[in-house]
Amino acid sequence: MGKLGIGLAALLVINAIVATVTISGSWTPRNETLMYRFKTDAPTLDPAYAHDTTSSTVLQCIVDGLTELDAETLDVKPELAESWEISEDGTVYTFHLRRGVRFHNGREVTADDLKYSMERVLDPKTAADQRWVLEEIVGSDEFSARKADHVAGIEVLDPYTLRIRIKRPYAPFLGLLSMEAASPVPREEVERLGEDFASRPVGCGPYRFVVWKRDAYIILERYDDYWGEAPRIKYIKFKVIPEDTLALEKYLHGEFDLLMELPVKRTRDMMESRPDETKVWPMLGVYYIGFNHTKPPFRDNVKLRQALNYAVDKKAICKVILEGVPIPARGVLPPGFPSFDEELQGYPYDPGKAKALLAEGGYPGGKGLSEIILQYNTSEAHEAICEAIKNDLADIGVKVRLRNFEWGTHLESIRNHEPEMFRASWLADVPSEDNFLQLLVTGKESNYSGYSSPEFDELFDKSRFSTNPDEQRRLYREANRLAVDDAAWLFLYWYRDVMMVKPYVKGWVRPVQGDFRMPLHKLEFTSHPGS
Amino acid sequence: MGTYILRRLLLTIPVLWGIATVVFFLLLVVPGDPADALMGHHPTEEARRDINAKYHLDKPRLVQYGYFMWRLVQLDLGRSYAHKARVSEILLERAGATVLLALTALVVAVIVGMTLGFLAAYRQGSWLDGLVMAISVLGISTPVFWLGLMAVLLFCSVLWLLPLPDPEITLRHLVLPSLTLSALLVGYIARMTRSSLLEVARQDFMRTAQAKGLSRLSVFYRHGLRNALIPVVTIIGLNVASLLGGAIATETVFAWPGIGRAMFQAVLERDVPLIEGGVILLAFVFVIANIVVDVSYAALDPRIRLK
Repeated sequence: MGKLGIGLAALLVINAIVATVTISGSWTPRNETLMYRFKTDAPTLDPAYAHDTTSSTVLQCIVDGLTELDAETLDVKPELAESWEISEDGTVYTFHLRRGVRFHNGREVTADDLKYSMERVLDPKTAADQRWVLEEIVGSDEFSARKADHVAGIEVLDPYTLRIRIKRPYAPFLGLLSMEAASPVPREEVERLGEDFASRPVGCGPYRFVVWKRDAYIILERYDDYWGEAPRIKYIKFKVIPEDTLALEKYLHGEFDLLMELPVKRTRDMMESRPDETKVWPMLGVYYIGFNHTKPPFRDNVKLRQALNYAVDKKAICKVILEGVPIPARGVLPPGFPSFDEELQGYPYDPGKAKALLAEGGYPGGKGLSEIILQYNTSEAHEAICEAIKNDLADIGVKVRLRNFEWGTHLESIRNHEPEMFRASWLADVPSEDNFLQLLVTGKESNYSGYSSPEFDELFDKSRFSTNPDEQRRLYREANRLAVDDAAWLFLYWYRDVMMVKPYVKGWVRPVQGDFRMPLHKLEFTSHPGS
Repeated sequence: MGTYILRRLLLTIPVLWGIATVVFFLLLVVPGDPADALMGHHPTEEARRDINAKYHLDKPRLVQYGYFMWRLVQLDLGRSYAHKARVSEILLERAGATVLLALTALVVAVIVGMTLGFLAAYRQGSWLDGLVMAISVLGISTPVFWLGLMAVLLFCSVLWLLPLPDPEITLRHLVLPSLTLSALLVGYIARMTRSSLLEVARQDFMRTAQAKGLSRLSVFYRHGLRNALIPVVTIIGLNVASLLGGAIATETVFAWPGIGRAMFQAVLERDVPLIEGGVILLAFVFVIANIVVDVSYAALDPRIRLK
């Protein structure tokens, strides 16, 4: 037994050593720390690569862009650029930079830094995930293809003046410049740190990076030389808690000040039991069932598509399956966009009308229509939704067979226009209407339903490059209406976001792009947090 | 013994090579384009080309395999798609937490499991025996995920005995996950100790020991347990991997910043290099654990000679 005892003792000693190395929290005073929960860790903190909401949440505190997008209204506001001029034809932007802006290493930010940072994102050596943010700039393709040493469309006129030329008028461009990938990073730090820059980012934003313990926490500290209004809360601590149930439990115990993702099964409970803390608001996202427009029965049969739209009880799906969080979709463009079409009614649940249209479409009572495949990517929620649709369609005589694949296979299959019907969704990556409308433009990669309408394509092109905002909104609306009249999809629901905020937190907003766009640097505590 | 260990260590190389090969080709079969996993909504054709070139995905599969093996020979596990960092760094950074959890669970499991098994064998057929067997069946058959959440709700939310799980680990945070993780192994060890001890108890030298006047407890403890250890040690060795594997669920429930969670996330994100690296590391640990087990046979039973 002695040897087993020695073995155990040895294990204990090793364990104690590991423990002393591993156990090391980072303490910040609770009353000066905003506690924010992450479901997963940030993959990277390099703005050139960060394309997920978790990384963006952290990065938007660390970096500043030329412009800033208001989280609620999507208005473009000046940030590092104090002002700008746009040429008559809408292709030349001249930015006048703010003076005295400093990187977290103390050096002043100039136009050269912006040029360097943008070229870094476009550089083929970087292979940046976020390259697309800047691809409208003249010369970006030549530079990325190594045919030019610099991006021709980015010119430094003097240390505080930057001129950017874009390929054609494109109104959302100013908004794109607010994205993290377009913000300046200091060349000397990027070169000094190399690939470590992704784990120790340096910017010129309101908070500076302090420490990142992978899968555990990230801590930011207020940057005292920030050019703008200093944040009220000194530290932000992002903590990774994968389990939704545990995260809610910790929020209720006062260990988090905000909570963005709630366990689905407890969302309604929280909406009812803590209405003052539980906020629900529309965000830029749409969930739809795509019709396959490339083959029968849906090709060129608008009556059939309309019939199916009327046959599905979208309200019931939102209320029963999705705990009352989303709202039935009445078109492609969700509320939250300035151009939102309040009057557009879409397709309310009406089985009578559905049956009539089905007959008009050539399939009275579903006769002559063979079994339709409805494909979804494997998930409990998608399955429940598709089951409900199947039942609703059976009521008007349309037989549906469900088929599910894992996401990668599903995506490949719908890209190849295989199933007759499929589920899909879209969340805005650029907060602009054309980002949604392109889902129905002929030949676009994300046009999984293969919808093709010359009229729609023309409206899309016109709206995209229109330089008059009012005219542009009118065109967006028109395109949206066309898609609805044509029943391009089976419109299911628009997303709404849910978050919980402690009563002592002031300054929160309802970001239409989703909760990750919450301007954390503008929050403050009205009383001691954690209660 | 030295040459024995050296030979066993050298033998791990073909084993790891085989595992790496299987993992590599299995992951090639997984559907979906890494560019999608990498770039979210916006992979333009050009970007897709760039990404494929950067990770050699545009080459024939055998060439990709060649690159992969060449890296492995240099002990380079490659770069994670999702994290933009070296796989070895990612694994190393999280290794401490996982080792702490697994070792603690192992020590708990050995002490508790052997004590329970010993008691059950010593009082074979009594209510105590029944109770121990019932506990071990529960331990073996209860999913870690469920057990963990129940433990959190009971000890943290209802009884307020322990702090809620947190990625900032303290000793108090270690209690629940290590107990949860050890449950399975406690079950196995208790059952194995019991049956092995009962087998030994029937042998002549046990009777002799009792005949020379030793108490039953003393006979069981001094003469029985040591001779019953070999199968128990085997079970422990085989389950070191299940401790690391079980850590995937445990780490997720308890927000424990370890390797298991990184791998779970890697599977969700199709982070192929990280999955490969993780599997190879686990395989390595498993092989080493088995060498340790084999060596310990000789220490436990002088009749066994290692050649």
